[in-house]
Amino acid sequence: MTTNLIADTVPPPAIAATGVRFSYTGAEFALKDVSLLVEPGVICMLLGPSGSGKSTFLKTVKGILKPQQGCISVLGFELSRGLNRQLRRELGCRIAYIPQHLGLVKNLTVMENALMGALGRMGVVASLLKAFSQPDVIEAARILERLGISHKAEEKVYRLSGGERQRVAIARALMQRPKLVLADEFVSQLDPVTTREIMAIVTETAKEGVTFLITSHEVELVAAYGDRAVFFRNGQKVYEGLAREVNLDAATRLMGKS
Amino acid sequence: MRHRKTRWAMWAAYLLITVTALAALAGMGFLDLARLTKGLSNTRMFISDLFPPDLHSLPTLTKAMFETLQIAYLGTLLGFVLALPVSVLATRTIFGTLITAPLRLILVIIRTIPSLLWALIFVVAFGLGPLAGTCAIAFYTLGYLGKLFYETFEGVDQEVLEAVRSVGCNRLQLMRFALLPEAANQILSQLLFIFEYNVRASTILGFVGAGGIGFYMLGYVQLLQYQNLMTALLVTLGVVLLIDQASAAIRRLVLPPAPDVKA
Repeated sequence: MTTNLIADTVPPPAIAATGVRFSYTGAEFALKDVSLLVEPGVICMLLGPSGSGKSTFLKTVKGILKPQQGCISVLGFELSRGLNRQLRRELGCRIAYIPQHLGLVKNLTVMENALMGALGRMGVVASLLKAFSQPDVIEAARILERLGISHKAEEKVYRLSGGERQRVAIARALMQRPKLVLADEFVSQLDPVTTREIMAIVTETAKEGVTFLITSHEVELVAAYGDRAVFFRNGQKVYEGLAREVNLDAATRLMGKS
Repeated sequence: MRHRKTRWAMWAAYLLITVTALAALAGMGFLDLARLTKGLSNTRMFISDLFPPDLHSLPTLTKAMFETLQIAYLGTLLGFVLALPVSVLATRTIFGTLITAPLRLILVIIRTIPSLLWALIFVVAFGLGPLAGTCAIAFYTLGYLGKLFYETFEGVDQEVLEAVRSVGCNRLQLMRFALLPEAANQILSQLLFIFEYNVRASTILGFVGAGGIGFYMLGYVQLLQYQNLMTALLVTLGVVLLIDQASAAIRRLVLPPAPDVKA
């Protein structure tokens, strides 16, 4: 059982990045002096052409990649500072990350994948025995029900369609009881109907105070679902503003090959 | 320009392979026609001596084959139980070099020694009999499965590991919820393969007194009782075919072809 070190009442910025520089090779920078502030409870759409640094930025926010320069605070905690183990773990739980191909364990069932979101707050021995607590099982069942996939709870993930897998990934993220969800090219491979359904779930969840940072290369999504829009190009932030003010033509030009 | 260079490199590789293969053929005596002709006539004689198989030895050989199967089964099981944790610890995507490097070195050393030599070592340690054979198979299995498993674990999609790690779990939980389930099909497939292999390998462990049907095979060869040897070979063939069929059936049953379309 972890104590609640991250305050539920005082909402610091979900993400506060300043002068972030990151390079995979040591030579060319994938992120060049990126600064970004994302307020809690908003859906921030991060757009840019392939190779513009969107996914890299997401990974630095999650702490998977460590920037060579600059600083990133997530939910009020500076990642580069030596956070103690318990805090690191709780922070890990509160930041859900959905990679581009969702990162689901295909040989496990929908329910097992969803319950994985509770691993961070479980005792190790109980989790190794897959002895999930009754409240966690009930919570997972409720989330699956809400996402419209409870009828496939015992189905192995490899048998699911793309849209169904997307829902499982959201279920796992929600089981983390996140404050921030980082989703990489989240709906890029879905048909328009499924995209609408999935984004409706995102909008509903954001209303509960969860912040979303979603990368995409589809400008049409911005105005429809986003609160804020940020454009990256060649590893730099080239535009930031309200999603509803984004001019579609200008945005399409920005999305041109970098 | 680059294309032409590649073509030249390919021709040079073909030439090198042909020349070295011819040199090896000459060195091994494959180009000595007189020797090959004599060899063929000896083989014909040996084959005719094998028939008809002597079925009087069948009860003894069946019992010995059962012992061989026990050696293979228990050896595989023990090797598997040891290989699983060792291979997880040797997985570079989970643990650092300080842990993985020494374990990999140990696995290399274990693999360098053939199962027959392991059998000899354990015969010296434990005396003649199936105990030595079982230990030999277990060690051999540890060496091979250990390597196959850690390579399988390292082949698990990094994105899955990143995603599961990102829920805030530790390495043990990562192993339980990502590594093992994602690699389960391949692990089972490799386990069945090594069991089939071990059944065949166990048949010759008796050559060095480590139990099983091999002891009788060697005896029949030394005493020139080729018809009994034929019976032993037929018993082995029957069992190996049975095991192959059983393992194919398990694969069909447990490992359905999974459509794996990434969302």
